[in-house]
Amino acid sequence: MAAITEDVEAIVEDTELPNRLKEEVYDTLEDKGDLTIEQVDDIVRAVESQYLDTRVDPLDPVGTVSAQSIGEPGTQMTMNTFHYAGVADLDVTQGLPRLIELVDARKEPDTPTMEVHLEEEYATDRERAHEVVWNIESTKILQLGDVSTNVADMLVQIDLNEDTLEERWPTADSLESVVADISESISSSLGVEVRTPAPTVVEFGPEEPSYRDLLQLVEELRDIVFKGIEEVTRVVIRKEETENGEEFVLYTEGSALGDVLDLEGVDASRTSCNNIHEVYRQLGVEAARESFINETMDTLADQGLDDVNIRHLMLVGDIMTNRGTIESIGRHGISGNKESVLARAAFEVTVNHLLDAAIHGEVDDLNGVTENVIVGKPIKLGTGDVDLRMTARDGAEEAD
Amino acid sequence: MVDVSQHELVPDHTILDGDEIEGVLEEYNIKKTDLPKIKRTDPALRDLEADAEAGDVVRVTRDSRTTDRAVVYRLVVE
Repeated sequence: MAAITEDVEAIVEDTELPNRLKEEVYDTLEDKGDLTIEQVDDIVRAVESQYLDTRVDPLDPVGTVSAQSIGEPGTQMTMNTFHYAGVADLDVTQGLPRLIELVDARKEPDTPTMEVHLEEEYATDRERAHEVVWNIESTKILQLGDVSTNVADMLVQIDLNEDTLEERWPTADSLESVVADISESISSSLGVEVRTPAPTVVEFGPEEPSYRDLLQLVEELRDIVFKGIEEVTRVVIRKEETENGEEFVLYTEGSALGDVLDLEGVDASRTSCNNIHEVYRQLGVEAARESFINETMDTLADQGLDDVNIRHLMLVGDIMTNRGTIESIGRHGISGNKESVLARAAFEVTVNHLLDAAIHGEVDDLNGVTENVIVGKPIKLGTGDVDLRMTARDGAEEAD
Repeated sequence: MVDVSQHELVPDHTILDGDEIEGVLEEYNIKKTDLPKIKRTDPALRDLEADAEAGDVVRVTRDSRTTDRAVVYRLVVE
């Protein structure tokens, strides 16, 4: 391996390349090994000229190019990738449905999920990781034991499973305190008096003997969340390779980013979810933009379409977060907020837009592309935006 | 509350003073309202030393995917 000498550095630093490309050039040169200064110079010049060639020219229609660059690979995506057991047996919407969901900026994704990273002491120890799991996954009564209704005595009886209790409350002092917790939750949620006739048996009934009330209580009992976060129905724990060893990462079905970030043991700097709006609420627009770009790129990459240039997705992300909130692409978002009447009418629901514009007396200044195509004027892009002016030559006499 | 600025998805946000704002607007030859916006209530502005007011300009230093660092500006609104 050839060390990077001062001469080489001088050549590279002299170029207009951005730092990231410079680093890459250094790495490549180092890998190549013995190169003469002339060869290095050739390589670096070639890289620089490629770079300068690929820069966007003024008046380039970047938006149109992005639209086509995302749209064309989109046609190759399979429609029917509804659900797919990919990441550790979790159902995650993929492919075209997910892409549509992202650009539509849906309030709630079809399959919300979180990727929860843990703090170091929890991430390396399976037992401790499970403590966090049970603080996230919602625990309802049917997971804890058998519920039976005793019509004769007008009682609902719950026979709790000791092993399950120990598993789900790993940090509790004693079984009694767990059972007491559960009874407390039931009595405060349902407003009934709860008795514990045996160590792991809980029973209660309606105040007045009533068959309807009894069934009603059982219905309500099923919805009580005893532990964990209501929105999260399942948590999958996975061991993943990192730079320095292995760590446990949790994947969830259902998401509640705000609640999870506050939990003990959760690494609040790396945990995220696939709901862009939730990221926006918890972490702000800039994070939402990042997250949108990541999610979109991952969706494309999963389908083998990772050769879509990230810049196109960054542009879409910029537009969607431009006003400080998340706006969807389409009639209700970006396209519906365009200045020009004709541009809006050309997109969707033509008549409504024209009618509204007529009622409000809107004026179209014909500044954009769509409007000018409609009226048949040259568009103001590329050479269409360049005006030539000629002035009489100073030395006009010479021509005579 | 979690310190949002520590999250890997959140880039650095800093509030500019008057002179810096002038410099930015001059550099791009734009009006302040032409800048992208950020809500005053944005979680990323919550933990800054000074409270952001509507009309302030925030400098966002992103760890860019295409260059080293990308600097963008957002106008604080509402």
